[in-house]
Amino acid sequence: MKKLWLSLCIFLLLIAGPAVAEDKTTLVVGVSSDIHTLDPGVSSDNYDWRQIYPCYDRLVKYKVVNGEGSTEVEPQAAESWTVSDDGTVWTFTIRQGITFNDGTPLDAEAVKFAFNRTLTIGKGPADNIGAIESMTVIDPYTLEIKLKNAYGPFLQTLATDGASIVNPNVMQHEKDGDLAQAWLAENTDGSGPFTLTEWTRGQRAVLEAKPDYWGGAPNIDTAIVRFMSESADRRMALERGDIDIAENILVDQIPALEKNPDIVVKRFPSQLVEYVYINCQKPALSDKRVRQALNYAIDYQGIIDYVLQGNGVQMRGPIPKGMWGHKEDLFQYSLNVAKAKELLKEAGAEGLSLTLIYSDRRAAWEQIATVMQSNFRDIGVELNLELMANPTLRDRVDKGDFELCLGAWSPDFADPYMFMNFWFESDKWGLPGNRSFYKNEEVDTLVKKAAVLSDQAERVKLYNEAQEIIMEDAPYIFLYQVQTIVPMRKNVTGYVYNPMLESMYNFETIAK
Amino acid sequence: MRVLHYVLRRLAYMVPVLFGVTVLVFIISHAIPGDPASMIAGPKASREAVENIRKSHGLDRPLVVQYLTFATGLLKGDLGTSIRNHRPVTADLADFFPATLELTLASMTLCLVIGIPLGILAAIRRNRITDHIIRVFSVFGVSMPVFWLGLMLLFVFYRNLGWLPGSGRLDAVLTPPVQVTGLYLIDSLLEGNWPIFVNALWHILLPAFCLSYVYLAIITRIVRSSMIAVLGQEFITTARAYGLSEAVIVLKHAFKNSLIPTVTITGLSLGELMGGAILTETIFGWPGMGKYVVDSVNSLDFPAIMGFTLVVALVYVAMNLLVDVLYAVLNPRIRY
Repeated sequence: MKKLWLSLCIFLLLIAGPAVAEDKTTLVVGVSSDIHTLDPGVSSDNYDWRQIYPCYDRLVKYKVVNGEGSTEVEPQAAESWTVSDDGTVWTFTIRQGITFNDGTPLDAEAVKFAFNRTLTIGKGPADNIGAIESMTVIDPYTLEIKLKNAYGPFLQTLATDGASIVNPNVMQHEKDGDLAQAWLAENTDGSGPFTLTEWTRGQRAVLEAKPDYWGGAPNIDTAIVRFMSESADRRMALERGDIDIAENILVDQIPALEKNPDIVVKRFPSQLVEYVYINCQKPALSDKRVRQALNYAIDYQGIIDYVLQGNGVQMRGPIPKGMWGHKEDLFQYSLNVAKAKELLKEAGAEGLSLTLIYSDRRAAWEQIATVMQSNFRDIGVELNLELMANPTLRDRVDKGDFELCLGAWSPDFADPYMFMNFWFESDKWGLPGNRSFYKNEEVDTLVKKAAVLSDQAERVKLYNEAQEIIMEDAPYIFLYQVQTIVPMRKNVTGYVYNPMLESMYNFETIAK
Repeated sequence: MRVLHYVLRRLAYMVPVLFGVTVLVFIISHAIPGDPASMIAGPKASREAVENIRKSHGLDRPLVVQYLTFATGLLKGDLGTSIRNHRPVTADLADFFPATLELTLASMTLCLVIGIPLGILAAIRRNRITDHIIRVFSVFGVSMPVFWLGLMLLFVFYRNLGWLPGSGRLDAVLTPPVQVTGLYLIDSLLEGNWPIFVNALWHILLPAFCLSYVYLAIITRIVRSSMIAVLGQEFITTARAYGLSEAVIVLKHAFKNSLIPTVTITGLSLGELMGGAILTETIFGWPGMGKYVVDSVNSLDFPAIMGFTLVVALVYVAMNLLVDVLYAVLNPRIRY
């Protein structure tokens, strides 16, 4: 009996063996979150876009300069374009010879169909291309897009996931007038370099490369996205070589990875910022001197050095570094306890007691909240901390039922509009973007004017002017810009980080 | 015949119990402040986008109407559509339940196969070194935090020694077997795919042990104490006086009579294992219902939360019934 068991064990061991992703044609990425939907017309989530984006083409794509991602766009499915003087009519010439998997050509009709579909569905992605008023097919490869009004960021929005060009034939899968949403939630039908061939929920998604992709065959044959919710799991799998890239590794696990000779840890300045909403409509916070005092109370560098372990840079104004419109010489608050106390005294707001709400959505928040509590105590402000579930938090933010709240924001398209208009326009109060319930008519006028111009220099001027006023009004506490950390096996080459494509991978050019 | 009546009566009782569960969960999950429509619309959605979603999912209707819609659907076996991913909840459960079931059954097997012999051994070696070791082992099990144990198991057996695979049900590069039962160990055999079977078996060892440890420890302790109680009874002395071998006394006479508390705890454990697999599933990247329900709660996906609760409630109620019926089998003096 014993012998039988022993030989069975040995047998099992022999055939089990290590199944390390050694082969050079398969890339495995360990990620923290599963897909929710694969429909580009529905999803507002980078974790979905990670799979959707490589399966589709868009009119334009982000430029790669010297192996680095940029926020500028260049032609992709559109060969060229022109824009009318008033900035409201865009005419795109579509590249010929691009086909979907079933052979249907990608032409002006297809683009029109895809945009109309997204707009009709009316979910998150529709907001991004919401400037479109109408579309006219001039000839099979020329599309004219008329905008409701001139919209500075328009071209940028065409590089977003929501502007992916879906095969019009997808309508054969339509059920009860759902524009094939049910089908596209689980399948892809685009002309991109990859096709999704398997999605096993909670486990993995498999993307197969198209060797005949019009833009050139990808270097790898298969990209496997493996869902592993625990950071420690992803780290161990990377160390064992079971995965090639691991995302969202907690900062305290990074130093150990850096010591491993088989692993390279890459750092990139992201466009993800973390900040504190100060509810300007609360009586205690309606005086800008109080808000300024709170801005002076924070030990910004301390948070970056100790909580983030150096993986961040202090913000300077609302527009992050790396985005055009960022103003390097803009005034920025720094720790100044005396000044803060003085401002509070002037405002007659000594002995203030405030409540900060936050959720556990980001790992660092618990610690930041504690640091803030101690920083505020130094200027004589008592800070109560209230941790809650993310849905509850969002509900309270939307209703303005809070005093201070920790938040994170990343832009959907590469335009300062994502910060200046979302955060400060007074008709975007609450979740849509203006989460400090801030209202300044001068700022409103400036940012709205900047939004409809297409001349970049002119827009920068207007945004600069607005930024000066905003820093004075202090409706938020701008904390830091996060550094994205991407650890990968040493043999992975060609990875390009793009701050606009956070948590996404350029599978088409990565090699092993 | 009496047992049959009893079972039927108990099955009828299940209806109000499950009805109560749905009402309770519906009320509790809707009492959480939060707006599911805004959760789906994404972090920066405009008010129009949120309103569109609210309407299209019927979230703008009164709560009573929403509950009645859910309840009518339930009678037809329809658990509604997930708010988060627009799929029928039954389809989601069909995807995630088998993984949890497989893990739970594997854990239960470990509990019984390891727990019962250890308990018996501890009882007959009472207050000797074997007993002490087993008791320390079970105290560890009851008191060790699951997330810590899970990480340590992975750290030692996967990262450092490389004896066992890491998280997940299969290696990343392997294609899962075609779904028949959803249990990979069975589906791979049905397919005749031996490498997948072995890989799945290897993958399930650590999470199954991690999940089972607490209950394994409890079962060990229950078996030990009830065996000690039984071994002290007069009929055991009589059996010894008859000159029966120790093995027959322990396994045939004592063990059978000590089974009732063990069966009770085992039955309840199965429900608890299933509902409590959340942490283990998270650590081991096990795509079961635990992970699914956490995501559902985070996005206020009411239909999904209700579906999960119903399944767990059903398992609990069914296990309770099974345990009660087993009592009669084990002890003929129990009548219904």
